[in-house]
Amino acid sequence: MKELQPPKLPHRFFRWYCHPDYLEDLEGDLMERLEKQRLEKPAQSAKWRFTSDVIRLFRPGIIRPITQIQQLNQFDMFKNYYKVAWRHIIKEKFYSTINIVGLGVGLTCCILIAFFVKNELSYDNYHEKLDRTYRILQAYKAGAERDVVPTSEEFQFWGNAPVGPAFKDEFPEVEQFCRFTPGHSKLIKVGDEIYDEKNVVFGDSTAFQVFSWDLISGNPETVLSQPNTIVLTETLAKKYFGKQEAMGKIVTYNKTVECVVTGIMKDVPANSHFTFEGIISMGTFYNQRSWIFDSWGYVDFYNYFTLKENSNIESIKPRFDDMVKKYTADWENSRYYVDVEPLKGAYLNSVASRQAGKMGSQSNIILFTAIGIFILLIACINFINLSTARSLERAKEIGIRKVVGARKFSLVYQFLSEFFLLSIFSGVLSLVLVIIIAPYLNEFAGISITPDDILNVPFLGFFGLGLIIVGLFSGSYPAFLLSKFQPAKVLKGNFKSGKSGVALRKALVSFQFILTITLIIGTATIYNQLTYLQNHELGFEKDQTLILEFGFDGQVQENIEALKNEFEKTPNILSVCASRAVPGNFYPNAGTQIENLEGELEPHSPAIYEIDPDFIPFYDIQVLAGRSFSYDHYSDSVEALMINMAAAKLWGYTNPEHVIGKKFDQWGKTGEVIGVVDDFNYQSLHSEVEPLTLRFEPYSMAKFSLKLSAGDVYTTIKDLEEKWKELIPQRPFTYYFIDDNFDKQYRSDEKFAQLFSSFAGLAIVIAFLGLFGLTTYTTSQRIKEIGIRKVLGASLRSILLLLSKDLSKLLVISFIIAIPISWFAIQKWLEGFAYQAPLSISIYFLTAFIISLIAFGTMSWQSMKAALQNPVNSLKNE
Amino acid sequence: MGKYHLGEFEELVLLTVAILKDEAYGIAIIDEMESRLKRSVSIGALQTVLRRLEKKGFLSSEFGEATKVRGGKRKRYFSLTAYGKKVLTETKEQRMGLWSAIPEFAFSKI
Repeated sequence: MKELQPPKLPHRFFRWYCHPDYLEDLEGDLMERLEKQRLEKPAQSAKWRFTSDVIRLFRPGIIRPITQIQQLNQFDMFKNYYKVAWRHIIKEKFYSTINIVGLGVGLTCCILIAFFVKNELSYDNYHEKLDRTYRILQAYKAGAERDVVPTSEEFQFWGNAPVGPAFKDEFPEVEQFCRFTPGHSKLIKVGDEIYDEKNVVFGDSTAFQVFSWDLISGNPETVLSQPNTIVLTETLAKKYFGKQEAMGKIVTYNKTVECVVTGIMKDVPANSHFTFEGIISMGTFYNQRSWIFDSWGYVDFYNYFTLKENSNIESIKPRFDDMVKKYTADWENSRYYVDVEPLKGAYLNSVASRQAGKMGSQSNIILFTAIGIFILLIACINFINLSTARSLERAKEIGIRKVVGARKFSLVYQFLSEFFLLSIFSGVLSLVLVIIIAPYLNEFAGISITPDDILNVPFLGFFGLGLIIVGLFSGSYPAFLLSKFQPAKVLKGNFKSGKSGVALRKALVSFQFILTITLIIGTATIYNQLTYLQNHELGFEKDQTLILEFGFDGQVQENIEALKNEFEKTPNILSVCASRAVPGNFYPNAGTQIENLEGELEPHSPAIYEIDPDFIPFYDIQVLAGRSFSYDHYSDSVEALMINMAAAKLWGYTNPEHVIGKKFDQWGKTGEVIGVVDDFNYQSLHSEVEPLTLRFEPYSMAKFSLKLSAGDVYTTIKDLEEKWKELIPQRPFTYYFIDDNFDKQYRSDEKFAQLFSSFAGLAIVIAFLGLFGLTTYTTSQRIKEIGIRKVLGASLRSILLLLSKDLSKLLVISFIIAIPISWFAIQKWLEGFAYQAPLSISIYFLTAFIISLIAFGTMSWQSMKAALQNPVNSLKNE
Repeated sequence: MGKYHLGEFEELVLLTVAILKDEAYGIAIIDEMESRLKRSVSIGALQTVLRRLEKKGFLSSEFGEATKVRGGKRKRYFSLTAYGKKVLTETKEQRMGLWSAIPEFAFSKI
């Protein structure tokens, strides 16, 4: 008769609850009863009897105690685990160091990236009314496409003045509006000192109600409500008045306007999309140029507004059209558009043009987060690979532990606790590294990390959780693998653990290769693109050009030609010209009408450069058609306009000759187009050359451009400064080189490239550290094999070939996988540039070369050693 | 006396263990009690009592040899300790004392 198996579930239940001391005999009793029942009754009822017995036994006295004696036991075991783990770490210094350093550096990268991301996400979050603060976006469209609704990119943040008040008048939901002007250069005189301030703005009196900037002294309600008042940031107050009390003092703006300091504020936090060093009240500006406050076409303001609480922004959006119609009813050939976007997230998400400050990039955040995760993955993979590869070392220990009675899960505990110990070491190492690196990072990327940011409970808690996750992630597979060993096999001594997890190890190494190859290709492409940008033919001459600013100074404008002559007489100065804007710098746009092919005046809003006749020859800009401005033509400053080729195309001309002599109407001037210049890149190469108009405007000048001959630059600047003090004593002497200034536009790209390449470099180092450890181990495993091969006559070459065969296969596979991935990622990144470096195959060759060099270099270090060794050494002792 | 309060079921179990002598393990005790006393004994009740008596020191136990039956599990044989025997005897004497104190007429009237 077949033996009857007890019903499974009750049986397991019984084993679970029964007191371990009673388990054996009681289970025996139950089985005996089951067998006896089986002889008398059908199997089913015997089983029922068994179940009912199990339930009857479920009572106090039989059930295992809840307070476990076991726990005490486990504590001792844990102590033992850590002791063994510690001994193991000490014994295997080489591999432990690779693990700890790799993981530590990986964690450091992650912490730094986390702080970077946190900082990027924190922009503007300190404003209390953030959730109901919005930015007004505006767009002007003209001509044939005036009725085409502008795209998000066509909207610009820089807009007119009256739209803010109109919002408040038209929409009852709007609580307050606040406007700022950009911080153009402003002259501020304090006592006898004159400062040229680049970042003092005009602002509405509501600034401190809409935004949560800290006012140290002054009343937030009234601080800017009167004309001729100014609020200084702490930095500026210190600069002007040192330790003296600044409140109530007078500073002179624009040589004549005396402003009272009515408030001192804390510096605008670094994580703000719009920053300034001082605010002059909007009333002051109004007194100077009141007409622009009614002009819907004059652009020079950033508009913000807050909604009343419990109002919905969607409810006012449908009414924008009516408002626009009401205020711009008399516009015939052009249309005005308005839109809003929340302040929250504007720093990262806004795609509008002409922003108030530098903007963040969502894709950079994603990219850096991805790199952080990659680096951590690479470090974890090292961990997994090294511990599974070297499992043989632990096999005997595991066997003995199992024989003595360790259960599988307690072995899992043991190995996990060992990995936790390692990850704690790495964690401590990474915190130390972060504290060391933090000051450099602050200098470099403007992210400040203070020890307080690190040594606080939430951060450490989060970090500890991270360590546990990392420990679990990298430790669970090895722990699982190790604890599965069969003691009998292990202890018999014919156990080959090298085999276990080989496929996985290969896959993981390939994965590391794929990541590193992608990162190398990425780095190479980024540098390729940046070099391309910097060497790109700009269409104008920017070498050895010095810019001196005088900021629309009336006296300078009066005597501009005489001053130019004076500067030209200075030794080493080849030529001089004056203009309002220079390439790479701020420029305005102007509503412009030019006769199109049909003979009608068509309005657009191109950029405008106000220049003198020397500008075009000075910058060596090519004239494609017509002629350049000339002092000989008296009318050039009254009724002549030059445009660039992009502008000619905008008005529908493909041949530059055809636009010569066409009528124009721009900013109060009418006349004829006299010349067309080639498209020169007056902006960064992120964007295409946009339509540009140039006009001769003696009284709009703000800058001198001076061409230096190759000589002693320092003395020349000293000479110029002396001459400046003599001729233009009312202005401070400020200068810069145009190529520096032009390259400044790529500074964020350069920073990006440096950050990217340093993280990529670290990732590569960690990956190869792991590879180094792994090959060291696998080679040491084959040392006898190599010895025998050598004895039998194998050459050095054939041994090296044998050892590197596997690695080469992995490299080739990884390369094939990495190419499409990196190609896709690069295309995405390059989309941000109007001028893209041609994708060169050489980058891929270079990457292949670099990675093979490092990989085989890493490997052959060990295999050479093994191959060169005298076989006697490896074979003599068994 | 006083501190040894043997319950009725406890007393029966002790007595049965004494009867079975070297063969007193769980199932045997149940079978013996059921056949002698004509009452059904639940394994749960018996085992709790056995463990309790052991803890109090009336019984001791040891494992027997492993066998092929019973799923290879060993039997746990119980035996009376000297202390257990003393308590049983005292209980018996108490009962006897009570019995002998009953006057003749008390029974005859029933």
